Amino acid sequence: MFQGQRGWFCRSVGRDLTQFWVDEGGMVSDAQAADFLFSCDASHPDTQRIYQSLDYLEDNATVFHAYYLSAVANAEIKNSVALGHFVLPPACLQKEIRRKIGSFIWEQDENFLIEKVREKI
Amino acid sequence: ATENDSRMMKYRCSGCITIRKPLNSRNFSKLLHSCLYQCDHHKVIVEAEDRYKSELRKSLICNKKILLTPHRRQRLNSES
Ligand SMILES: [Zn+2]
Repeated sequence: MFQGQRGWFCRSVGRDLTQFWVDEGGMVSDAQAADFLFSCDASHPDTQRIYQSLDYLEDNATVFHAYYLSAVANAEIKNSVALGHFVLPPACLQKEIRRKIGSFIWEQDENFLIEKVREKI
Repeated sequence: ATENDSRMMKYRCSGCITIRKPLNSRNFSKLLHSCLYQCDHHKVIVEAEDRYKSELRKSLICNKKILLTPHRRQRLNSES
């Protein structure tokens, strides 16, 4: 599923999810070389560095919540999961966004998703 | 996860439904910006992030004006 893709993982991402990425053919890289930027915590210093980078300013770096990977692990058809639902905005914006749209997709069923990944590995 | 599924069905902009095209962290934001119709979910996120970016840009310009200017000029010279 992730053959030939490079992923950067914030240290807030659990090992299970990183391992799933690797098992599915993905490579782990630094943030600059990565095709995918994954984090589980927008306020983690690793991720905050992304939000302050030039890439981010120029719309070249969207951070995704790593629960995308557990949703993929969970889905019957792996590439049917829409990556777009897992955008992780900077922590300082989340309260305001939540007020307007309710909870983020990655805030629901967190435990359920994580458990499923553990089962698969 | 049926509640989750029905939530996802409500969203219908290209940020939501593009799954075949290879999306990643590098092209997602541009895709959303070029999308004529954004669903509520993505519209709110894009607006908030854009505001954050323009504020950050402003503060970067204030802090680094002196540093950036000679570099920019140099690059322009070599391009011409
Ligand atoms: Zn959308």
